[in-house]
Amino acid sequence: MNTPHARILAVGTANPPNRYSQQDILELFRVANPMVQSMFKASHIEGRHLVLPEPDENGVPHEDQESLLRKHRKWSLKLGEQAIEKALSETGLTTSDIDYLCCITSTGMMLPGLTAMFIKHLGFRVDCHRADLVGMGCNAGLNGLNPTANWCVANPGKNALMVCCEVNSALYIYDDTMGTGVVNSLFGDGCAAVLLRAEDPDDALVPRVVDFYSHIIPDAWGAMRYNWAPEHGKFSFYLDRDVPYVLGIHTETPVDGLLSRNGLKRRDIKHWIIHSGGKKVIDAIKYNIGITEHDVRHTVNVLRQYGNLGSGSFLFSYQRLMREGKVKPGDRGVMMTMGPGSTIETALLNW
Amino acid sequence: MYETLNYEENGDIARVTLGRDRINMAMVRELSAVCDHLEDSSEAKVVVLQGTGGRFSLGIDFAEFRPDQPMDIHGFNKWEKICARVERLPKAIIAIIDGECHGGGAQLMLVADAAIATKRASIQFNEVHLGFLPGMATFRLAKTIGLGHAKRLIMQCPKVTADEALSLGLVSAVSDDTEAALSRTIDAFGPIHNVAVTLARRLLNESFSTDFENAIGNFLAAQHRAIHQTPFLETIRKHQDE
Repeated sequence: MNTPHARILAVGTANPPNRYSQQDILELFRVANPMVQSMFKASHIEGRHLVLPEPDENGVPHEDQESLLRKHRKWSLKLGEQAIEKALSETGLTTSDIDYLCCITSTGMMLPGLTAMFIKHLGFRVDCHRADLVGMGCNAGLNGLNPTANWCVANPGKNALMVCCEVNSALYIYDDTMGTGVVNSLFGDGCAAVLLRAEDPDDALVPRVVDFYSHIIPDAWGAMRYNWAPEHGKFSFYLDRDVPYVLGIHTETPVDGLLSRNGLKRRDIKHWIIHSGGKKVIDAIKYNIGITEHDVRHTVNVLRQYGNLGSGSFLFSYQRLMREGKVKPGDRGVMMTMGPGSTIETALLNW
Repeated sequence: MYETLNYEENGDIARVTLGRDRINMAMVRELSAVCDHLEDSSEAKVVVLQGTGGRFSLGIDFAEFRPDQPMDIHGFNKWEKICARVERLPKAIIAIIDGECHGGGAQLMLVADAAIATKRASIQFNEVHLGFLPGMATFRLAKTIGLGHAKRLIMQCPKVTADEALSLGLVSAVSDDTEAALSRTIDAFGPIHNVAVTLARRLLNESFSTDFENAIGNFLAAQHRAIHQTPFLETIRKHQDE
């Protein structure tokens, strides 16, 4: 007897209420460095949902590490609650129906972690299995989907929920440098929850998660990383300028590895669900695996509307793809996320 | 192996010979199978598209349409998909146009990277006179020969002679010795580096519809890929040896 695959039953997303255009942020924090200004304007991002402090009279924000951690905790719970509620309401389930909870974040450290906080506040059962994936970066959504899908396969009929919760405005430093400018012009706050269950296919347009393929690039170990900034007393995120190209040139390996092991060619893939890492990395992927602007339309639109949302970005794109209503039974899709390691994670979906 | 076309591959050259006067869905399917092969397992560097019996193609086969049946747009979509696939093949695409090249035939010619015409060649985008549209030639032709000429060719549907096609830039050579002209054209392409050829063509095809800011991002992504391929690495190695 065939064990059923895990299937993606529903996705819910949430963002904080305040949305800022790139120009809003430049004005709010009185960014004067023209190089940083043009970086904001060339980001291909129209706006981002963020939780920003009131700056002082010189436009300088004052948030110490303690208040950032508090912000992360508070907004993780708010956004998590909303995203979970939206995902579950589509299926008529409640949090007490969830048997496995996997939470992902890289924007704040807490102990106990997000799963424990959600169980305490959101009505999950106390015997809910759980896993917290912390500090894996933008790619982590697929690093989490892999064990979540496997748990589903091992426990057919049981409900698993994965929640990607990134409060990027809880992890930043403020100065006048280009490096900081790049990072502070890119990331937005957002949370995505995805419900999975292993069950036999019915008529619904619900994809099966068929396979995963990872590819880490140890030579680019330090290309994306957190640094402790002693003068600020906070973490800062470092992003090497070659990251888009390094990721781009390695994209073929996991994609073709994933496809060939499943007897597929790139042309068999109808839907590409790619992390909205930034304009340059999207371009690099397009030209390295020969996919079109149409293939990355949701990835580009999510970037434009929200910025880089970290681990949950690809689920925002997935949600747009499903809402577009063009997916047909039998279609195949590839999910791809990229991040620190440096790494490229991929998953294969069958509708 | 194929019913509507002939396919042969000899070293660097793959040759696709359209085996019927008009393009039907069977031909579209077989062109798709040829593209599968060219993408997956062909070592050829050049794909030659040609007709047979003194004719390239008369275009779409109206026998597959029935006036008493609902009109179906999806067949046109399949045709556009195959044209786009041919246009993206990682090979140099050369069309040999002998005799009539009309309608869909002219559309197919337009996705080639170069075309050679015989003196008796006659190229016509005749669709508008027949009450429909010449596919995505409406998108490609203006880029190839300019909007003014494209309007005349598509809206007035003239039969374009080989010499006129040459002066418009619609074909790159006129010769009745098509094999000699083909050799010269292939030589002119020089060493064909599949990745560089494919990326250059893609950027050129995107050039009129992409703004500069996006285009330069695309270019850098493509260039980064090109300079990591063997041909460029060999170029700089040779340069150092000199």
